[in-house]
Amino acid sequence: MDWWRSFFRQESTHSRLIGVTALAALTLAITFVLPPVANSELAGGAAIAIVILGLSWLIGWSGQISLGNSGFMAVGAYAAGIWAHHHNTTPLVFTLALAIVAGGLSGLIIAIPSTRLRGPYLAGLTLAFAAAVTPIAQNFTSVTGGEGGIFLNSLVTPSWFGHLFSGANAVINANAQWTADLAVVVAAVSFFFMANLFHSRTGRAMRLVRDNDVAAELMGVDLLRTRSSAFMIAAAYAGLGGALYSLLEASVRPETFPLTLSITLLTLMVLGGIGTLSGAVIGGIIYSFSADLVAHVNSLTGVNPTSNLGANMQGIIFGVLLILTMMFAPRGLVSLRTPIQKLFRILRPRRQTPDLGELH
Amino acid sequence: MTYSTSRPITLAFEHVSVRFGGLLALNDVSFEVAEQEIVGLIGPNGAGKTTAFNVACGFQRPTSGTVSFPELGKRGLHPAQLAKVGVARTLQGVGLFNHLSVLENVMAGAQSRPGGGLWSSVMGLPGGLRHERVLRDEAMGQLERLGVATFAEALPGGIPYGIAKKVSIARALMTRPTLLMLDEPASGLDEQELDAFIQLIIELRSTMSVLLVEHNMDFVMQVVNQLVVLNFGQVIARGTPSEISHNPDVLAAYLGLDE
Repeated sequence: MDWWRSFFRQESTHSRLIGVTALAALTLAITFVLPPVANSELAGGAAIAIVILGLSWLIGWSGQISLGNSGFMAVGAYAAGIWAHHHNTTPLVFTLALAIVAGGLSGLIIAIPSTRLRGPYLAGLTLAFAAAVTPIAQNFTSVTGGEGGIFLNSLVTPSWFGHLFSGANAVINANAQWTADLAVVVAAVSFFFMANLFHSRTGRAMRLVRDNDVAAELMGVDLLRTRSSAFMIAAAYAGLGGALYSLLEASVRPETFPLTLSITLLTLMVLGGIGTLSGAVIGGIIYSFSADLVAHVNSLTGVNPTSNLGANMQGIIFGVLLILTMMFAPRGLVSLRTPIQKLFRILRPRRQTPDLGELH
Repeated sequence: MTYSTSRPITLAFEHVSVRFGGLLALNDVSFEVAEQEIVGLIGPNGAGKTTAFNVACGFQRPTSGTVSFPELGKRGLHPAQLAKVGVARTLQGVGLFNHLSVLENVMAGAQSRPGGGLWSSVMGLPGGLRHERVLRDEAMGQLERLGVATFAEALPGGIPYGIAKKVSIARALMTRPTLLMLDEPASGLDEQELDAFIQLIIELRSTMSVLLVEHNMDFVMQVVNQLVVLNFGQVIARGTPSEISHNPDVLAAYLGLDE
């Protein structure tokens, strides 16, 4: 448990680096034994976890709500997609950096009016943004490719990686695992930076503004700058996650970023636990399993997956999960860690373990 | 109205008026707070004390007149800028951050200091971490100075009011103020706590000026050098505690005596 605690609690950068690296290495090791379908799902979950983490930061740390994260994802995805479509040889790192910048900028633009709004008004504004992005992508055909979107083949499995595989489905296995490994590495880097942010002065400024903006201002915190930088960071994370997701899917299409995705992201964040790293990981894992879960429930209940009910099964399942979580773990699934820790304490009674802080 | 001092002026109100619609909350208010001086702002409810405080720290713009910080060479600042130039204020009640530990609350007082920007935060650069450690130690020192260090890890919601009050003062001291503004610091403190608090305020005078709003006259009379008495938004008297306690206008305003 020590490395786990150092990941979530310690204040030094290198202990966070070790924690993130350990978790990433473990996940990478798992990708070697997973079937290709599971690896593809894991890759998608990792991309979504990045977006959830940004949202978690925005809501949990700065106290601002956003229903526009599907829109920020789309901005990042289209920025990366349009660039990669025209410049196919660009290194992936650059393409993803472009998505971060584009997402961040869109967040900043939304943040400027948003910082004057609170609660439902802010939710409304961000919702309007997310609602606007899809039609723009659908109709601005010359740039975005319209309904059909943009085809991408930027994620090429390097030959050295392909050589690790042999047998009948070597290419499929290699491709699926490469995307999973890549997504895990990108997610790990994102989580590392966010872990730093959580425990930094900037992170504290966010919490000051969230708790008591009058007192925060008296402490010399610039409210406008703090609130808008929170938005910018959340949107940059969404942009990166969206771009990664599209690269994994090998296309950028408007239908990938419907309004309901924003709600799904919010649900996943609440399920995992607001404002925590592990909560975002849990949200990503649930997302990875969700397609399988939906198929399973549909086949168990005999619901036709193409029927109206079957098509909305994901929403129903998430809704039920959300209600159960709110009943039994109101602070998210991450709060179940405390009973688990208690169990560990019972198993090893001689060892004194300090209580975890409020948020981590 | 005969109070004068030869020390440099930290805060100066010059003919400050504030109008809220038809209500003149402050009417041509002038007074100064000199270096290493403790000034008490008193007056009946609704006299304009809190408005004067809000004007001084930039939450409220004066309708006319100016508020300046001659020693700091500043005027017309926003609240967030004030912290940077050394003006700290406590809020009525306690105004602590409820989801941060007591220690973090005090560390928040140093938020305006340079260093530890966004980039260094994201990258987790060693400079920023060192900065945090220094702040942590310094905040702990402030808590020890006020005798509340045992509550460092507690959340503000779970500590007694008197302790929370001290924490909010520790937080204000963390900004290293040249002018400390205390909004009703004595309210909610018991006799014993009050005596200790009086000692602390007098001790603080060696390094800063203090402007306080307070209802507890026993307390005010023991700590201040100068009193400014407001009534209906106007300064009706200024002077030392002994001068004020014999001023007929003040007695009339406080006791409601007709002339």
